[in-house]
Amino acid sequence: MSKKVMITGEGAICAAGKDPDEIWKAARAGRSAIDAIQQWDSSNWPSRLAGEIADLNPRALVEDRKLHKLVRRTDLLGLYAASKAIEDAGLIPHRDALDPAQADLFNDRTGVYVGGGGGAYQDQYDYFPLLTAARGDLGIFGRQLATTVNPMWLLRTLPNNVLCHIGIRYAFKGPNACITNHTASGMLAVAEAAAALRAGEADRAVAVGHDSPIEPETILYFHALGLLAADTIRPFDSARSGTLLGEGAAALVLETAAAARARGAKVRGEFLGSACVAEGEGLLSIRTDGDGLVRAIVLALEDAEIGPADVGMIVAHGNGTPPSDASEASAIRHIFGTKPPPTTAFKWAFGHLLAASGILDTVLALDSLRHGDVPGIATLRELDPACATLAVSTTAQPPRSGVALVLGRGFAGTNAALLLRASAD
Amino acid sequence: MGGIVTRARVRVAITGLGLVTPLGNDTRTTWEALLTGRTGIAPIMTFDASGFPVRIGAEVKGFDPRTAIEDRKLLKFSNRYHGFALGAAEEAIRDAGIRPENASAARWGCVVGSGMMGIEFGELVEAHRRFAVDGHIAPERFGIDGIAGADPLVFCRSQANNGLSLLLQHFGIRGYATAVHTACASGGQAVGTAVKLIRRGTADFVLTGGFDSMLNPVGLAAFCLLGALSPDNDEPERASRPFDRTRNGFILGEGAGFLVLEEWNAACRRGARIYAELAGDGNSLSSYRITDSHPSGDGPIQAMAQALADARARPEDVDYLNAHGTSTPMNDRSECAAVRAVFGAHADRIAVSSTKSLMGHLIAGAGAVEAAICALAIHHGLLPLNANLHEPDPECDLDFVRDLPHPRRVGVAISNSFGFGGSNNCVILRNPEDVHI
Repeated sequence: MSKKVMITGEGAICAAGKDPDEIWKAARAGRSAIDAIQQWDSSNWPSRLAGEIADLNPRALVEDRKLHKLVRRTDLLGLYAASKAIEDAGLIPHRDALDPAQADLFNDRTGVYVGGGGGAYQDQYDYFPLLTAARGDLGIFGRQLATTVNPMWLLRTLPNNVLCHIGIRYAFKGPNACITNHTASGMLAVAEAAAALRAGEADRAVAVGHDSPIEPETILYFHALGLLAADTIRPFDSARSGTLLGEGAAALVLETAAAARARGAKVRGEFLGSACVAEGEGLLSIRTDGDGLVRAIVLALEDAEIGPADVGMIVAHGNGTPPSDASEASAIRHIFGTKPPPTTAFKWAFGHLLAASGILDTVLALDSLRHGDVPGIATLRELDPACATLAVSTTAQPPRSGVALVLGRGFAGTNAALLLRASAD
Repeated sequence: MGGIVTRARVRVAITGLGLVTPLGNDTRTTWEALLTGRTGIAPIMTFDASGFPVRIGAEVKGFDPRTAIEDRKLLKFSNRYHGFALGAAEEAIRDAGIRPENASAARWGCVVGSGMMGIEFGELVEAHRRFAVDGHIAPERFGIDGIAGADPLVFCRSQANNGLSLLLQHFGIRGYATAVHTACASGGQAVGTAVKLIRRGTADFVLTGGFDSMLNPVGLAAFCLLGALSPDNDEPERASRPFDRTRNGFILGEGAGFLVLEEWNAACRRGARIYAELAGDGNSLSSYRITDSHPSGDGPIQAMAQALADARARPEDVDYLNAHGTSTPMNDRSECAAVRAVFGAHADRIAVSSTKSLMGHLIAGAGAVEAAICALAIHHGLLPLNANLHEPDPECDLDFVRDLPHPRRVGVAISNSFGFGGSNNCVILRNPEDVHI
């Protein structure tokens, strides 16, 4: 027997802002936060645009200064978004008012699901000074190791750091996962958290996605593969030329309806259903017919026990690469025919957050439903005829119902779909 | 007998196993070594470790992925540990006697626990030589010179979900697919997630497992810096001695373990050989410290208790425990405290072994390999050895498997995996003879 899963807290950070409302309003106003990379001198780089969080101040994100030595930039973003969602949901004041036995039970019944980007190239650059000292001799490498490399190197680079430190900070001890499945990671964190609540494994869970892919080597690979846009992300546009990377994180607190009711939580929305499937044709392959996305949407609708006509708006993946957008339009046409609900995409406003993108889109879908307003795609100039049936616009549109469909796609041909409803305030 | 079943539920059968481990490049060789006590731990041979404080490890020996995988192009996209994964998964699929076909591909899922290594050491050395000879990369120069060196193959091989992608592509799996990383708990969490996919009805078949290799200069260095490894370079075969009073660290291993899981009734209908029921999963967070476990066993206690409830098994049903048992002073003590807390007096009647005593610690691969070992223990009615336990530790007072051969009918087996970062996983397997639908 399936339990209803409610959304009771949210948090987000990216180049466009440090909370969901600020980010949504920037997109609604048609402002893109994508700019030239500032973290290093990128002036002579062939690709130098990204959605960087300007003036990122670690201490403003995570108070505990001891922690800064133990985690990476991406982890700070994830910890920040999670802390905002937990604060927004009011979990801690509620727990701390319980008697000790009840508080222990609360912690044991609180899960943590994280979607992260895995390792970064620059983590391993910490070994460069040692390689220089070793001059090609592994014997020297081994002997000088302890005096050259930070002894905490492994702990700092653990892909599951956000999971670990949410646990330590808040004492949550329930079911957990750290999902490292590229762009689908954040959405799958929500999906797995919701599945745990439905199955009765936990009463509530924090789901967070985080990524910080703006580093020199990653930009070069994306450039070499022809994945980066020349000027800006133009989803579904005839002249679209690729995507641009962004950094950030988003988090949701999910609770069973019973648990939310029992503590009188403010309910922001409801998770209705999700699905994830693979096309399985290679790391970078995308089927032109949108097969994986079609199957993911069908299964998510089944999971939510609703039909296409119930969907009031779509947040598309819309990463701006020619094959992804065309196949996505094809999949949406396959499910919704020539009269799809109002559709938008947000990556043009702050870049592609990879592991965090789907969960940030989920947060923004909720905001759109709450405002009764689907922001337009400001960078769209001329709709690609291959995407002509999409209900996209440069300006805002009203959603057709209170239900949003969010789409996420990633390497390995992963396609995910998620359905949610906003609560009437 | 197994737990009392009170209402119908979806059951999960283990029908295929595949192992590439320091003990052997297939399931049979690995299993024989565990029964005879042949160690896989030796001086490190794949690179010059002579200057490292720790120079011993548990390497996979003489494995050539081309013997398992004909697709040479696929292997170009593979690092060392991807080869282990493809080899072990191919063995598991063949062992199960079923593979994804066009009609069933969307009903096949894949869940893997994958490691944290990105580019291979040789690629790091090359990047250093080209762009950072003085020890620091200069991004402004990198932008000009780096383009020519940006090899898309290196990029693909270094992606966190590349192993998953290779498996999906090789086997033609088109259903729910995901990769998890919770350090040393990764493999166990992958198997636990796979069980849930079948229970939820998301998949009818799941290929699940874990794979890793940190046996390279950077990986070995990382654990040396933490002081987590046994420094007993002169006695490699004795170095991993879980639960012994003199234990002093773990041994870094590498390899892969894969299982084919199927919905029970469908497996029965096709006449599949069922090793065991994958009956339950428990999953908790210690929320204590990054690397240490709580001395009381808090965290692992909840994982084991959840797994028992999930499997609808009673503590007294459990006959065999494949312990996390890393051979570090802290882990083994804390794990024993947790087992005591969960099982009480019955803990004295559970046979316990840490197979890391012979094969070292396979990190992200460990949990899946050890779940497969539990399936073999149930299937054969034989228990694998906890090697090198000569001086009992009063704080580790469980019934360890110290003699060979060790025949015992196993009704219920459990496997623990605890990771850096505090993730704890426990999976429970039940003898198929005890499953009454």
